[in-house]
Amino acid sequence: MAFLNDDRKQILKPLNKNKKSFMQILKNYRTWLCALLLLSPVAHGQVPDRLEAPALQTPAAKQSLLLSITSAGQRLVAVGDQGVILLSDDAGLTWQQAEVPVSTLLTAVYFADEQNGWAAGHDGVVLRTQDAGNHWQLLLQGEQINQLRIAHYEEQLESLQQDPEADPFELEELEFALEDAEFAAEDGPVNPLLNVWFQDTQTGFILGAYGLLMKTADGGHNWQFLTDTLPNPDRYHLNHLIEHQGALFIAGEAGLLLRSDDGGESWYELASPYMGSLFALVEHQDELLLLGLRGNLFRSMDLGDSWQAVMTGSRASLLSGRSAEGRLLLVGLGGTLLSGPGSQNLQLLDGGQRRALSGVVMADDHWVLVSEQGPMRLPLEGVN
Amino acid sequence: MGRLSQAIVAPLKRSEQVIERVLFHHRLLVISLFALVTLLLVWQASQIRPDASFIKMIPSSHPYVENYLDYRDDLSGLGNSVRVSVATTGEDIFSTDFQDVLRRVTDELFFIPGVDRSAMQSIWTPNVRWTEVTEEGFVGGPVIPPDYDGTQASLESLRLNVLRSGQVGRLVANDFRSAIIEVPLFDHNPETGERLDYNQLSQQLEELVRDQYQSDSVSIHITGFAKIVGDLIDGARQVALFFAIALVITTLLLYLYSRSIAGTLIPIACSLIAVIWQLGLLNALGYGIDPYSMLVPFLVFAIAVSHGVQIVNTIRLESLQDPDPWLAARRAFRVLYIPGLTALVSDGIGFFTLMVIDIQVIQELAVAASMGVAVIILTNLILLPVLMSYAGVGQKAINHARKQSQQEGVIWQRLSWFATPAGAGVSISAAVLALLYGLYAAQGLQIGDLDSGAPELRADSRYNLDNAFITDNYSTSSDVFVVMAVTPPEQCTTYETLAGVERFQHYAQGIEGVQSSVSLADVSKRVTAGLNEGNPKWRAVSRNQFVINASLAYVPGGLMNTDCSLLPVIIFLDDHKAATLDRLSSSIEQFAANYDSDALRFKLAAGNSGFEAATNQVIARAQYEMLAWVYGVVSLLCLITFRSIRTVVCIITPLALTSVLCQALMAHLGIGVKVATLPVIALGVGIGVDYGIYIYSRLSSYLAEGLALREAYLETLKTTGKPVAFTGLTLAIGVILWVFSPIKFQADMGILLTFMFLWNMLGALLLLPALACVLKPHPGQRDPGLHKSVNRGES
Repeated sequence: MAFLNDDRKQILKPLNKNKKSFMQILKNYRTWLCALLLLSPVAHGQVPDRLEAPALQTPAAKQSLLLSITSAGQRLVAVGDQGVILLSDDAGLTWQQAEVPVSTLLTAVYFADEQNGWAAGHDGVVLRTQDAGNHWQLLLQGEQINQLRIAHYEEQLESLQQDPEADPFELEELEFALEDAEFAAEDGPVNPLLNVWFQDTQTGFILGAYGLLMKTADGGHNWQFLTDTLPNPDRYHLNHLIEHQGALFIAGEAGLLLRSDDGGESWYELASPYMGSLFALVEHQDELLLLGLRGNLFRSMDLGDSWQAVMTGSRASLLSGRSAEGRLLLVGLGGTLLSGPGSQNLQLLDGGQRRALSGVVMADDHWVLVSEQGPMRLPLEGVN
Repeated sequence: MGRLSQAIVAPLKRSEQVIERVLFHHRLLVISLFALVTLLLVWQASQIRPDASFIKMIPSSHPYVENYLDYRDDLSGLGNSVRVSVATTGEDIFSTDFQDVLRRVTDELFFIPGVDRSAMQSIWTPNVRWTEVTEEGFVGGPVIPPDYDGTQASLESLRLNVLRSGQVGRLVANDFRSAIIEVPLFDHNPETGERLDYNQLSQQLEELVRDQYQSDSVSIHITGFAKIVGDLIDGARQVALFFAIALVITTLLLYLYSRSIAGTLIPIACSLIAVIWQLGLLNALGYGIDPYSMLVPFLVFAIAVSHGVQIVNTIRLESLQDPDPWLAARRAFRVLYIPGLTALVSDGIGFFTLMVIDIQVIQELAVAASMGVAVIILTNLILLPVLMSYAGVGQKAINHARKQSQQEGVIWQRLSWFATPAGAGVSISAAVLALLYGLYAAQGLQIGDLDSGAPELRADSRYNLDNAFITDNYSTSSDVFVVMAVTPPEQCTTYETLAGVERFQHYAQGIEGVQSSVSLADVSKRVTAGLNEGNPKWRAVSRNQFVINASLAYVPGGLMNTDCSLLPVIIFLDDHKAATLDRLSSSIEQFAANYDSDALRFKLAAGNSGFEAATNQVIARAQYEMLAWVYGVVSLLCLITFRSIRTVVCIITPLALTSVLCQALMAHLGIGVKVATLPVIALGVGIGVDYGIYIYSRLSSYLAEGLALREAYLETLKTTGKPVAFTGLTLAIGVILWVFSPIKFQADMGILLTFMFLWNMLGALLLLPALACVLKPHPGQRDPGLHKSVNRGES
């Protein structure tokens, strides 16, 4: 079940219709819940669940754990703990908190253009903004992902059962998969999403724990379950997805490294240079860089077919990086900062602190980083 | 009203005659009785113990403290620990010599009784470990390499282990030049069940650690509640020296004033007897002496001396007419019995009103002070005249008094101007201006403590320097507010609980003045990320109970209780200013009101800042309540004695002015209203009323003789003015030395009491006659019997 062929795509069409009706119900339920919450401004009884509680507007947001940062035109958008989304229009000098309908830990944010962005996080949450991050709308959450997964296997099983020439082994496997999905649904929305990437304002992917991969073609309203199309039998976590020279790449747990040459329709495994976790991929000019556990860094000049180890001089895990204006900055645990004009001449910088750093963008001649204690700015001159 | 006071004063007067007769006809019997009781109480007083209990300093029936007491045992591992920081003057801690010292200090602390040895932490204890995620999973070990031998290589691996242990900022200073040994204490010895002796522990820390290991290259810094208590008890001991100094100065002044050896030694001896009785009774009733009630012997001594002065002075004046000591003493007793009794009873009741404040140290102070005043009635109002009836004041003193009254006539003449309409106008205008200023300035008065560090001790005390050293070099704050998150048993680690606590922390961290917070939820989040190769994207409370359980396989002490129904949320604050604590507690109470359920409740509060918040709330409420009580009671007593509302106004107004000015002074000096300063106003009013009572009773007796106000006041000044001024001085001397106390709150009390004693005296001398001039509470309506008893024309 490695590749999704045209037949399968046909099969998936009616599923989308089912999905819609199901989501409508869920949406209605949420609308009612919101209305109820609005009617009683002071909620009595218990602390609301993080999926139902809007993110708290608090000065503490600027010191909270932030995991991802991106640019939306001139604006910077960072996401993190407790549904915190921070916006900066002055290259990270000041920050405002956006209105967010959930309080889960958000792990990733991506903007397709200046206005349209998505954020993903724990409990399977996917949020969308169409006004450059000022307001966010909940598109999807873990309960729905669980139901989509069940519906996906039910649909497949049904069509296979109608096929008289079906492979009984494949049938049995599908039955197992369905049973698994049903069991998993009982646990609730336990699995986090770890990354989100959009090709344009319509087509995009979310990925996360236990090999989850889903695709949307309508900006995130309907989702297609792709987990079982990946060559990932051990269901390793999927950490990061990027596009590099027309191909898509996914880096994951235990050295998992995947490539798709057809826009994410089909994926195949690349020979991994490392068996530990791979946290991120960074495109820098012609190079593709692979960031991993304990300071492991690799570069490829041939679309990931071959990899070369890069000596970093650091044993701290590298979590993220950014290439901008001919410069490269990689960040990681323990305040690790690696900077240089290219991967071959990276220097370890002393940022004066040991916080975990998990994202970076360049704005107004500064690197703007997100750390476990809020955003920070680093002047470019101080870096090289 | 008339009938009521008649009912009270008439028997009092009758009793005077009976008592006078009994006393002065059976003098030996009286003296032997006093001697016997004194011997008994000397023995009792010698056994009195210093006592400083944490729980006594906080309002025990405030809901915060009640909540804390409910979970006291569960929270015991939290906070009650001592931190010993060993610092090097060298480059860093990674040297053979320093590590050797650190190891020996750790061993030394290990064997001090009362230490919870298994929970002790330093880089030399095996429970402090490093961990690292590798491709194969977790690896780790104790921070001290198993093969440590002091060589450069093993020091290098120690440095590496420290870096990856995550202890930088906790057990190792941010600048790597000092290391902490965290020493948790048992409140009760688990073997013997005895309560921890803080004093002894503090001494052992000094002797076994600081004295032994502090050197040119190593400095030792010790903080923790046990050390504060130890330092308080130590500081309180030094106060004994102040008592000796006050005694000497007072004796000297008394002699200069009276020029009579008997007239000096007898009041001093009687006053000392009062102190001994007070201490002896305190011990007999099971009380110890704490840094707050330490003040009481000083006050008792000062009050006793001031009353003694009144009596000796009266005897001297009576001797001018008839030098027979027995007769003079007896007449003095007759003159002063009622005003003395009224004054002392108002003192006593004034002090006793402190009982309305629900803080045990203040209540014990009230008991001790009231008892002390009651004792003075016996020693100085009864024993003193009886003793003086043997000794007499001596001819020298009588001559001196005669000469002096002529010399000083000019000063008193000038002062009596305040009893004229012009003088009254000036005096009252000045008072009104002072009042307006006082009311304006007193708006800056704050509740609670305003300085950083341990507020009980001075900012530059060794403890606070040590504390500042640790706050500067480590990532911790010493202002800790603990919220108790309570669940049904075995529910403290469910997803709902941890997620609720996490949201609460996020809320609390947004409150101004909060630095950070820690709870079991943080442990679970961090370990969950750790189990996922340290990836911070996993740093959340998992909805999967198995993941939560795995993340809580090892929980550091104090973050949950044994039956898993309590999660303390430890909130670190920027400071412990009243505004910070107020904002924090009301915000948290709001959260609790909105979200408390049977599954999860947020209960306030423990931690030093939690208790301080409770104390501030009690004090803010009690300060006006207490003022109402003390002024109400003192006014009522004056009303009963003098039976004129105008008189009451004359006596009470100067006191009220002083109280307002005292608040203004506190605002100026940055002294907040707190456990230590709250009693000051009650004490000031209670004692200050004496001046008014003595002056007014004299004044009214002269007015009853038919003198005009100015003449009557002049006569009053001639007879009572000097002892009143002297009283103010004695009282001030008794407390002014406190300014040098190593204990901050004793110094604050010293400043404020000195101010109040002196201002009350000035008010009584300058404002009282002015008010009498304007309000004219003149004779005519007076009970003639009362006048006879204070009328010296009787002879």
